[in-house]
This record gives sequence, C-alpha cells and structure tokens, in this order.
Amino acid sequence: MRAQPVNRISEKGLRVWRLYGMIQTALLLLVAIGAGVLAYFFEGPWWIYAIATVAVLLFAYLFIYLFPKVRWMRWRYEVRESEIELQHGLFIVKRTLIPMVRVQHVDTAQGPILRKYNLAEITISTAATNHTIPALVTEEADELRGRISVLARVAVDDV
Amino acid sequence: MSDNRFKLHWITAIIEVLKTLKEMILPLLVLIFANGLKDLGTGKWYIDYASFIIFGVLLIVFFVTGIIKWKRFEYWFEEDELRIEYGLFVKKKRYIPFDRIQSLDYTEGILHRPLKLVKVKVETAGSSSVKKSEAELTAITKDAAKRIEMEIAEAKNRRKAIPVEEGELAEELHIEEMQEKSVFTLSAKDLLILATTSGGIGVILSGAAIFLSQFSEMIPFEWMYEEVSGFIKYGFMIVAIVVFLGFVAVWGLSVAMTFFSYYSFSVALDGQDIVITRGLLEKKRMTVPLNRVQSVRIVENPLRQLFGYAAVVIDSAGGGGAEGAKINLFPLVKKSNVNSSLKEIFPDLILIEPTNKLPARGKHFYYRIDFLWMAPVIGALIYFFFPYGLLSLLIIPAIILFGLWQHHSAAYEIARNQLTMRFRGVSLQTAFLMKKRIQSMEMKQNYFHKRKNVATLAASIKSGIGIFRAHVFHMEESEADRILSWYERSGEDKGQQE
Repeated sequence: MRAQPVNRISEKGLRVWRLYGMIQTALLLLVAIGAGVLAYFFEGPWWIYAIATVAVLLFAYLFIYLFPKVRWMRWRYEVRESEIELQHGLFIVKRTLIPMVRVQHVDTAQGPILRKYNLAEITISTAATNHTIPALVTEEADELRGRISVLARVAVDDV
Repeated sequence: MSDNRFKLHWITAIIEVLKTLKEMILPLLVLIFANGLKDLGTGKWYIDYASFIIFGVLLIVFFVTGIIKWKRFEYWFEEDELRIEYGLFVKKKRYIPFDRIQSLDYTEGILHRPLKLVKVKVETAGSSSVKKSEAELTAITKDAAKRIEMEIAEAKNRRKAIPVEEGELAEELHIEEMQEKSVFTLSAKDLLILATTSGGIGVILSGAAIFLSQFSEMIPFEWMYEEVSGFIKYGFMIVAIVVFLGFVAVWGLSVAMTFFSYYSFSVALDGQDIVITRGLLEKKRMTVPLNRVQSVRIVENPLRQLFGYAAVVIDSAGGGGAEGAKINLFPLVKKSNVNSSLKEIFPDLILIEPTNKLPARGKHFYYRIDFLWMAPVIGALIYFFFPYGLLSLLIIPAIILFGLWQHHSAAYEIARNQLTMRFRGVSLQTAFLMKKRIQSMEMKQNYFHKRKNVATLAASIKSGIGIFRAHVFHMEESEADRILSWYERSGEDKGQQE
C-alpha cells in the first residue's frame, strides 16, 4: 500500500467549506419556507412541512457538518522534487500523480471568502489537465507556487 | 529571401462567397419561403418581391466582400517568418516564425482541382483556438505551396548551419533528403468494407426496425376493437417502414461520405513526419510530426472485431482543428497486419498484447452500478405495460453479460517506459502510452472498491488542446499502486516520504 501524501490543507479551509455549506443551506431554507407558506395558504397536507423540515435538516447536517469534514480529512498533498501527489475525494478517493516535468504553470487564486480567511487556492496545470489544491494559507500557497515553478524548471525530462 | 508579396489565387474570392452563402443558407431559405412564394398582391412590385431583392443585394454584398477579402490578403517571407496581412475593415497582420511551423496541410477541394490549386493550413505547436489553424491560405498554386515549403526548409538549414550542434547536423540533413516512404494504403476492398461498416450502428438499427415491424404482428390486437386494431396495425407498419427507410438512407449517406473522404487513403513516412493523404472530391494531405504523437491506440469495434479488422488512431498534441487531435492513422486494417505497419512508423513502440488481467473480485463493479438506473426503469415498464413490460427484465442479464465482457476484455502491461492499457466501452481499445507522454495519472477508489482492494486507474494524455483519458477500471489495488510507482520519476524519493 502506498503511503498517503504527508501535507494537509489548512484547517481554515474546513471553516470555509462549512461557510459554503451554510450559504447553500440558507438558500434551501428559503425555498423550504416558500413551500411552507404556499402549503399554509392552500391548506396542504401536514407532511409537506415534515418533508421540508427534514430536507433542510438533513442538508444542513450533510453539507455543513459531514461532507466538509470528510473532504477535509481526505485532502492531502505532497510536493516532492520530481512529482506532486494529490489525494482527495468525498465518495471516490482520487490519488493523482503529476510529474514536475509535465507542469506547465502554477497559479494561485483567491476569492472574497478565501481572502477573508487569508487563504488561497493553487492550480497546477499540465498540457492537458488542471489540478487544484483548494485551501492553503496565502503565504504557504505563494511559497509553494514558487517552489513548484522552480522545481518544474529544473526537472529534466527522462525517458 | 525575397521581399515579394504574394497574393492568393482569384478563386479565393469565389470560395469566400460560397463559404458565406453556406453559413447563410438557412436564413435565406426561411426568408424566401416565408415571403417570396406568397403573392401579397399589394400592386407594388418592390414589396411583392422584397425578399428576392434582399436576397439579390445580399448576394452582391457577399460577392464584393469576397473580392475585397481576396484583394486584401497578402503573404510574404521576411526574417525567417511567414508574414500574413489581411482584413476587411481592420488590417490584421500575423507573423509566424518558421521554427514554430510544425506542418503545412494541404486540401484540394472541387474548385481547386481543375486549376491545380491547394488550400494550405499552417499548423503550429500550440494553436490558440480549436477551430482554426494558425493561418490558412485559401487557394494558391501548387508551385507557390512548394515555394513556401522550400523557403521554410532553407531557413531551417541556414539556422542549423550557424550554431553547430555536433553530430546532429549531418544526421538531420540526411533525414531531410530522405524520400517519402509509403507505409500503408487502403485497398479498394478495405475501403468498401470501411464504408459499409462505418454506419454499423445504422445497420443494427435498421435490423431492429425490421424486427419491430414483425413484432407488430405478434401483438394480439384482436383484443381491441376491430377498426382501431386495423388502424394501429396499419400505422405501425407504415411507421416501421418509414423508420427503416430512414435508417437505410442515413446509412447510405454515411457509406457514400466515408467512401469519398477515405478514397485512396495512404500513409507515408517523410523523415520525421507522417504524411496522410486521402479523399476523392476533396483531396487532403496532412502532415503530423512524429514527435507530436502522444499516443497510439488500436480500436476494434465489435462488428469489425468479428471479421478480424481494427482501426488505429493516434492522438497528436497541438495543431488546430478537430483533426489535429485525433487522427485516423489506419482507418481499417487486418488485425494481423497492424503490428508490422505500426512497427515501421513507430519503431520504439513495444507492440505486445497486454497480458495482465483483472481479478475476479472486481467483476461485479462492471455492472452493479447499472442496477441503479435499471431498477426504476424496469419497475416502470412492468407497471405500465404489464404483461409485455416483463420483457424488460431481459435488460438485467444483458447488462451483466456486457459488464462481464468488459471485465474480460480489460488488461494492462508495463514494458520499460511504456504502459499499455486495454479497455472496452463498446469498442475495444488498446492504448500504447509512453511514460513521457502521460501528463498525469490518477487512481480512483470508492468505499466498495477499498473493501475489495480494487481501484480504477486513469492516465491523461494531451490530445489537441484537450485530453484523452485511458482507463483500466476496477483493477487490483496493489497493481494500480505498482503502476503509479512506475510512473513516479524518482525511486529514491520514496525513502524520504515517511
């Protein structure tokens, strides 16, 4: 069995995901309230309220608590001299190997929510594929971007 | 180096007009049929015939713009660059260094042939858009095309002569002097088979239509009212016949199109380039530099596999157009001849059959997920069409057999720096991937996979500006690990991992 990649993503990433989950839940809650109001005015059966409540609660549990947690637990990465290894996935665990020689460029990006938490995502592009590490502390991301681009330049194409 | 500026052949103007017309044909037809055929009877001729007048004006406008486009287009050679100037309202200039030009692809359309002209597409390594090649010379004489080739070759030689790269110089010059060596031609018989089986799905579908038309007689319409039954039976037959004829027509069309486009298909080796020529009405000549080839795949669809035929497809990096990505190297070839022909083009390729099969533990993954969509569909069919809906239960064994077939077909092999992956969707694909061409590799595992110690492995290859992914599904986990380790650059790094 291969050893897992050693590095984890920032713990604040978990909080950001929870925040995303809360936003999604809030949207769903609005829909549910809408359905509830309609049911009230048109005198719908009681189980409409039940379904709406259960759906919102279940969604909240999954998207605010469980999924971010599992996803965060799974997310690992490792940047070695000659390759980058990623592991992530909620239901399907994916392990990706990207050789340094294949790296074309590295980008970091930061949305408003990520910026608030001083986080950045880093995207590694090869000629064909893109791979994103979703949440790293900004300084760490900048440092990693620099390191990868240096390593990618140094690496010699074997074979 | 000449500072002469060259123009395209005047036929360009006509080709441009036809091209615009082709794009406009639908709106024009709508315009004519919506208005033109109706007699408005307003008494004013310019209102009655408004659509024709608009049509006529448009035609003139197209014609004039076509001529201006042609007049404005110029190309010339300067400082080892191909320079192009064009544009109707805005003058655009494009300079392409000879070094970056990967290949010149020629097309001879129906309008080109009698005048001995060619359309030249200039392909560079990294084209910026999928649709367009870096530059396109719509129509120039064959001599002019030769001149471009010579100009490029001369410039490359000149460049090589200055910085002396030991040893390489002599070798590469030698290569350029080599003659085109024919590797593969499609025989008349093979062309016919290719054309007729290309619409393979059409044949199957029309077969199904015949079956359906028979089936209608088995349905016990006596249960229903006589008249309704007669009507339905009649209608059913009509529909079945129309559908059948429709399929036959589509199939016939696809046969004809395949026949025309693959007529006199041949592959030749010219130094470091593969040169593919084909076509009857439109003659095409495409050049693929060998070092741009990313993967070689043997594709066998079930119908052709039955008769021992296969196709070979290569993926090429860069280059514009859909053709730049996936290229039919051998559209149809006897399975027994694949290896010898491939060996000539790619001497480094290790063409052994992949022998590592998958474990029986992974078998059920090939069909189990399908039950998810099958259960509700079958349930609904049984519920709504009660007695005959039960026939839908046949889907289950069909899917299982199909899954087992896929499982049985899958295989892989590592030999030196090459990974061979065999997998089946419907067609069986055998992909030969050089380690240095694999952009990234991924191992996927879900919870159930983990319990059974199996994993799915995917290798990504650059194909045009997109990706081609080769998969081996549900293989032994430890073997997937082994392939990942093989893919890793440095074995010594692994010691430091922990």
